[in-house]
Amino acid sequence: MIIDLHNHSTKSDDGRAKVSSYCRWIHKREIPIHGLVLTEHRQFDDESDYRELEDEHDLLILKGSEVETDYGHVLVFGVNEDLLNAFDFGAIDLKLADVVQAADRCGGIAVPCHPGRPTVGMVAHYEERGPIEGVRVIEVYNGGSRAGEDEASLALARELGYYGVGGSDAHLVSQIGLCATKFERDIRSMEELVMALKEGSFEAVSWR
Amino acid sequence: MALISIDRKWIGQEFDVAEFKVSEKGILAFARACGETEPRFTDPSHPDFQAPPTFTSKYVSRRILPEAFPDLGARGFDAGKTVEVLGPLRPNDTLTARSKIADIYEKTGRSGPMIFIVHRMEFFNQDGQPVSIVDWRLVRQPDPE
Repeated sequence: MIIDLHNHSTKSDDGRAKVSSYCRWIHKREIPIHGLVLTEHRQFDDESDYRELEDEHDLLILKGSEVETDYGHVLVFGVNEDLLNAFDFGAIDLKLADVVQAADRCGGIAVPCHPGRPTVGMVAHYEERGPIEGVRVIEVYNGGSRAGEDEASLALARELGYYGVGGSDAHLVSQIGLCATKFERDIRSMEELVMALKEGSFEAVSWR
Repeated sequence: MALISIDRKWIGQEFDVAEFKVSEKGILAFARACGETEPRFTDPSHPDFQAPPTFTSKYVSRRILPEAFPDLGARGFDAGKTVEVLGPLRPNDTLTARSKIADIYEKTGRSGPMIFIVHRMEFFNQDGQPVSIVDWRLVRQPDPE
């Protein structure tokens, strides 16, 4: 099962795509993904209900978040009430160590994204300050990466033994499905996604 | 620089009111510039002739930020506008635009921290009906240390 783990809708301040438009695009272009995760910037979208869209388009639509830390941006999967109370999703100066620990403690998982990107990726921060304990999975393919960024992410994953996922980081309709993650098992819920991420039973894929 | 240094009291405060007259010539020029082909935007004889949806994005208030708003430095860029259409704009309409700061927030990107200021202009026609809302995102970046 292939899921695009990193996307933004109009719920994000810089997102320009409606979720319904993503769904139509996936079908029209026959993009080989079975689901997507909406990871809105600095928030968890607790309001939107995409169940009708899921049924209409036969797609799994899950919700996570992308938060900002001292080591760059981080995807958070498995957001629940406990996790929402653990730290301020809207802050831009969160500590990666705190986010990783809080996610783990509350039944979720934190996945640093676009690690190879300057300023907002963890590679540069690792070089300065060293690794953070508890990181197990990082995004190695990102749809918005520039030349050399994914290569730096892959090198970091190899060096430290991290599992690698892929996500498009789509902000526009045509960006969905550029990168994704292929899971060995079927995923039907956020809980199952978190479990699969913790198990490491997946591989990153890119069609860029 | 942290956003936290900007008092959130600025959000929601109206700081400018300006008036604009919509003309047929202005609508046609805007439609041409946008590459519009719909007759209702390009043909004044069309029974539903009106301005293209993003027409109000061309208007600028007399002040961009409230008086005494904190100086955030000279570095920054225009992050674009979003337009919400609430009603048609037709020739000879008189628009009143009320400006306020709708939001202030921080984020980090490749180039470092950025402060986003959302300048909102709410447009009303001569009957007091809301016709358009334009959110203009202005980005300021702290000066390099």
